[in-house]
Amino acid sequence: MKFRTQSAAQTRALASALAEVLEPGDVVLLGGDLGSGKTTFAQGLAAGLGVDEPVTSPTYTIVQEYEGRLPVAHVDVYRLDRVQEIYDLGFDDFFDGERVTLVEWGDVVARAFPVDHLVVQIVARADAAAGPIAGGSDVGGEGAMVIAVGDERDIVLEFQGRWQERRPRVEEVLAGYA
Amino acid sequence: MLLLGIDTATRRIGVVLASENGLLGRVEIGGPEDRARPRHAEALAPAIRYLCDECSVSLRQLSAVAVGIGPGMFTGLRVGVTTAKVLAQTLRVPVIPIPSLDLLAYPLRHSRSLIVPAIDARRHEVYYAIYRTVPGGVQRDSEYELGSPDDLAGEIAARGEETLVCGDGAQRFAASFRDLDRVELAGAAHAAPSLSALAELAIARYEREEFSPPSEVLPMYLRRSDAEINWQPRSA
Repeated sequence: MKFRTQSAAQTRALASALAEVLEPGDVVLLGGDLGSGKTTFAQGLAAGLGVDEPVTSPTYTIVQEYEGRLPVAHVDVYRLDRVQEIYDLGFDDFFDGERVTLVEWGDVVARAFPVDHLVVQIVARADAAAGPIAGGSDVGGEGAMVIAVGDERDIVLEFQGRWQERRPRVEEVLAGYA
Repeated sequence: MLLLGIDTATRRIGVVLASENGLLGRVEIGGPEDRARPRHAEALAPAIRYLCDECSVSLRQLSAVAVGIGPGMFTGLRVGVTTAKVLAQTLRVPVIPIPSLDLLAYPLRHSRSLIVPAIDARRHEVYYAIYRTVPGGVQRDSEYELGSPDDLAGEIAARGEETLVCGDGAQRFAASFRDLDRVELAGAAHAAPSLSALAELAIARYEREEFSPPSEVLPMYLRRSDAEINWQPRSA
């Protein structure tokens, strides 16, 4: 399932609309290069879940927790090197059927997360920008470049495990964005 | 002797005080049916304080601290094991670590079935082990395992014996076990590791001087991985 957004605001709006289908225990893995807008998407999801405090990148804190209509755990695995670190950080306790867990870069290590999950791939459209511009929103780890491109994004949803059954419902809430 | 026992391997926070003459008292907060978020970190220390106060016991009187080391809920275990170690180190008393699966199996020792405790491991998996009853107790007849409820159901079916399944994992995934021949579910009273079993087993070990220095006690983690995260995308 694929969508195209023209701005960060539109990406947020799409994510916020998608939040309507989220239920306690859901896991959403956010994929995409540096600067593609994973945190922007997470902000939209959190807003849609009724989180009213500012949602910032968890790259350095690894986990940020929020309270909304449902509790939200916003995770970033970018700074981790081993699957064991994911276990040692106790993320398992997030999959307790109570909160929604959003994982930036989670697609890279999907097997460390529950089999039933939604993957959101965010792809910056290369032809949308005249060239790299300074000032992306997604800052990487040591030595990483800050990448920014134009604001146009392809957003691809992949339904894994029991999420496949929820495809029609997702189509319904995102009908306005097709 | 006076023993403080802690088990936080499941959603249930459990604290017990006992002497060689039996239980002085216990506090239990939460459980598998309780959908409120477990707050091990917030509730454990006040629960210990409350129990000691109500039993007129001062921490300085303790001879040992027993702790359920899981396998089980990650955050809960860390809180419970750390609290036990810090208390023991401060009071200069030994720690007696006991696997929480043993604490589920032991109260069912009078049954004639195989006893299979299963603790919810999240991700649609359970921690489990298989026990046989022996005179005076239970004896483990498998490794401590991590697997899907269906893996466990397969293992039980392969053994083909009368089996009693207990623990919050058995409750949560009851559907995987309910229709198996010769298998019974132990019910809500056997959902959390038993605090009286913790006291009884720990006092027996204390008397045999089977205890550990606090620094050597660790939670039992069965979910292990040697894999590196494939960060090609990060370097690309």
